[in-house]
Amino acid sequence: MTAVIEVHNLTKRYKDKNALDNVSLAIEGGAIYGLLGRNGAGKTTLMSILTAQNFESAGTVKVFGEHPYENSSVLNRICFVRESQKYPDDATPRHAFKAASLFFKNWDQELAEELIKDFQLPMKQTIKKLSRGQLSAVGVIIGLASRADITFFDEPYLGLDAVARQIFYDRLLDDYAEHPRTIILSSHLIDEVSNLIEHVIVIDNGQILMNEDTDAVRDRAVTVIGDSAKVDAWVAEREVLHRESLGRVASVTVLGTLSADERAEVTASGLDLAPVSLQQLIVRLTQKASAENSSENSSENQEVR
Amino acid sequence: MSRTLNVVRLQLINKQTFIWVPLIVLAGSVIVSVLIYAMIPVPGPKYGGGGQAPLWVFFGTGLTAMTLTFPFSQALSITRRDFFVGTLLAAALGSAFMAVIFIIGGGIELLTNGYGINGYVFHLPWMWETGPLGAFITFFTLALFFFVVGFTGATIYKSWGPVVLTIVSFVLVLALLGVIFVITRLELWNQFWTMFAELGAVGLSLWGLAVIAVLSGISFLAFRRATP
Repeated sequence: MTAVIEVHNLTKRYKDKNALDNVSLAIEGGAIYGLLGRNGAGKTTLMSILTAQNFESAGTVKVFGEHPYENSSVLNRICFVRESQKYPDDATPRHAFKAASLFFKNWDQELAEELIKDFQLPMKQTIKKLSRGQLSAVGVIIGLASRADITFFDEPYLGLDAVARQIFYDRLLDDYAEHPRTIILSSHLIDEVSNLIEHVIVIDNGQILMNEDTDAVRDRAVTVIGDSAKVDAWVAEREVLHRESLGRVASVTVLGTLSADERAEVTASGLDLAPVSLQQLIVRLTQKASAENSSENSSENQEVR
Repeated sequence: MSRTLNVVRLQLINKQTFIWVPLIVLAGSVIVSVLIYAMIPVPGPKYGGGGQAPLWVFFGTGLTAMTLTFPFSQALSITRRDFFVGTLLAAALGSAFMAVIFIIGGGIELLTNGYGINGYVFHLPWMWETGPLGAFITFFTLALFFFVVGFTGATIYKSWGPVVLTIVSFVLVLALLGVIFVITRLELWNQFWTMFAELGAVGLSLWGLAVIAVLSGISFLAFRRATP
């Protein structure tokens, strides 16, 4: 299968920094992708350029094999509701959904109605008077009910309470199972979406740090817990991502995949193995990468932050 | 094409924007005008500029069409071209609607002898010189002009920032001053007013439509690179 999204050497320059720095990326499609990264890492910029809402400074962008700018045949198959999406003055959610139904050919009004009920969204208030969470719900409903071939969600959970967030995750999974498509979900609540996403794309400082299947990422590290002397002995030469200790018990996360034999060995020696949380792993890997980056560039490029 | 027409529908989904708000503003302005006319103890016909009130609504609508509806249209994956053409079409429809209201208002004023007090908001002699059609064209052009000015200003602001918008406004004011200076210097004011009178409301409106076309062209160039 060819990739639905292909990006080569994509750079987006703003006055004082590169929001995207020579990014190359291929997205196969037909899965739920997590676009993860810190605030200002470049997540929204990347999604904006992929949907022709913003423009690249350099590089090539292809969505369904073509550049999306002013290209209805591509744009027709995309939906991207921004995190701080604006709506027409005096529009109510009812107006917004009616408008969306005009433009998305797969629009499912029934699904929209169910979601409105689930999120308890007031339909007759103007959108500008809605709370932050309700505003997010409007975007989530448009994103889900549009059933576009590629749907982007830009931190869709902002302001949503825990119940509403769970509704979103559940509904997303249900609808995705029935209508498989490409979903790209930007988030910095990594643990919350870790059960949802099949593929992880980590972006930091305008660069792609990781683009892998979630399972592969999880296998990249392991946490060993037990008597600190024993743990240290076991860790020895391995690359430590993180270390915590409480009294004589230590918990150390190391990079690397363990074979079945190695696992057996660890348990036999009285140590416990624990899975690494995706969030932990990504945070550590991000920190490590940026530390390496800054030590590489430290002599030439002393950026003030 | 169907997507362009859908943009028209998108703009008109909320009837408040293009229809109810201008109507309410117009109704309010007519009531205030009539009350004022009633207080003037002069038997002759009284004319006022209350009819221009809804024009400012069109200016605001043009502005928010760019600053708010455009970003929304991007979430609906509408191309900029479709949005631009559809929005101008919607504005033309709204302007035509207001112009029809204007004609009806003028008819009512004629029939009621200026609300019984010889006061006129719609039936201004200069605009009606060539009959209802002329008045229609004049008011249609004015409404569309206000919309396009609002939209173009907002587009320039969004594409190039407040500094460029200020510079453009400044240059326009300077150009206007220049024209006034030249006319004064060459003592052409008499000729100017004669030309103005000869063109009449309809002639001026046709020039207005040409200005609208030019403004739309500039606006489209700026709009093509606008980001929500």
